[in-house]
Amino acid sequence: MSTGAASPQHPTVPLRHRLNIDSMNASQLSDFRAAVQAAMAISDERGYNYHAGIHGYPLPISCDIAHGRPIFLPWHRAYLYFFELALRDQQPGVTLPWWDWTTDRHIPRAYDEPKVGEDPNPLYSAKVDPLARQQGERAGDVKGPMTTRRPGADGSPPLPSEEDIKKVLELPGFLDFTHQLENFHNNVHVWVGGPSGDMSDIPFAAFDPIFWAHHAMIDRVWRMWQLRHPSASVPATLLDEALPPFNMTVRQTLDANTLGYDYAVQAASSRAGTGQP
Amino acid sequence: MNLFVSEPIHNPAGEGLPDFTRADLVFYGVDHLGPSFEARIFLNCADANLSTPRDPEIGYAGSFTVFGHAGCAGDEGHCDVPPGPRDPFDLRPPHALSRQTKTVIVTDALRRVTDPELTVTIVPVRPGEAGAELVDSLEFDEFRILTYL
Repeated sequence: MSTGAASPQHPTVPLRHRLNIDSMNASQLSDFRAAVQAAMAISDERGYNYHAGIHGYPLPISCDIAHGRPIFLPWHRAYLYFFELALRDQQPGVTLPWWDWTTDRHIPRAYDEPKVGEDPNPLYSAKVDPLARQQGERAGDVKGPMTTRRPGADGSPPLPSEEDIKKVLELPGFLDFTHQLENFHNNVHVWVGGPSGDMSDIPFAAFDPIFWAHHAMIDRVWRMWQLRHPSASVPATLLDEALPPFNMTVRQTLDANTLGYDYAVQAASSRAGTGQP
Repeated sequence: MNLFVSEPIHNPAGEGLPDFTRADLVFYGVDHLGPSFEARIFLNCADANLSTPRDPEIGYAGSFTVFGHAGCAGDEGHCDVPPGPRDPFDLRPPHALSRQTKTVIVTDALRRVTDPELTVTIVPVRPGEAGAELVDSLEFDEFRILTYL
């Protein structure tokens, strides 16, 4: 699905490809875990909790300008972009993986194992910012010190199916498409979090490491829709809207390739000079 | 409210009325301050409840899910949406809790309803600690059924 040119700022640098979490090899997964782990150890604005907190607590809840609004997809594309850059500052070359919940109907194994060897798995659970927890308690939304999940709990909406996404991709208009896709996105949040898990409500969702894989999938579906409907676009009145706190406009999010990435189902590469004579 | 059952309304897909290629059930003014929940929607199934299956044959038409705020953490007034029209020079984004619109595509479900009138039942459900439970957070201003040629 890699169709565009590389970044105009770095024309000789190839695009990076976000991969299906289930397709990552051991080295790719290890690097990604290392990046997340390193970000979790940083308490300033380079760190994991800072980025998670942009979405929810501590106040302000910056994603409020995005949910239920037409800039849902652009805002979250910008959000992933800045988080991915922060991870790459810790571990060069890593990209965000995506969780294809249409085919992988459970929490992916990489996120579901409490430990990797003898060490805690940073994709399994994350420490929640104490100030966020304090504000949650004030709102009556009490969360534990570490993120939790209750996937598929009784009363959860279903995960979107392949047929659901196929139908959504057929919608020709952007506003219709984003509205329907956002509803499936909501379903996944509640399906993962269940009755009290962090993914189930806006203020805590991004603290759960699987948030990013879920949103990479949403972003991927948008990318697929863009390729299938090349003449459709975001309404012109939205193009110059800012996406605070990110210094980007809607227009600047439209082409994933100019942000340096695309989505691939599989990836393999080889450096020149390393092949057989 | 938890369960919502509408008054019988005119069925835009009733016998003798123009055919359509798509039908939407649109909910305006949906509140999202409370917990997340799924609003399951049934047509002409007024007694739908928590245990009613998602079976199109008994009127299940689809659902929308509210991704909720789970309460207000700010000071007094923080989550109060200012009433009335905004100042034209106010370039701030809309209030965080401005109510939302939810559109559920119900084309196939509406085609199954041939009665001249229909009722819309909404069952708001969330996963509770002891299993599925009704939630008392469903709030909206109005709904419309729209068909398109």
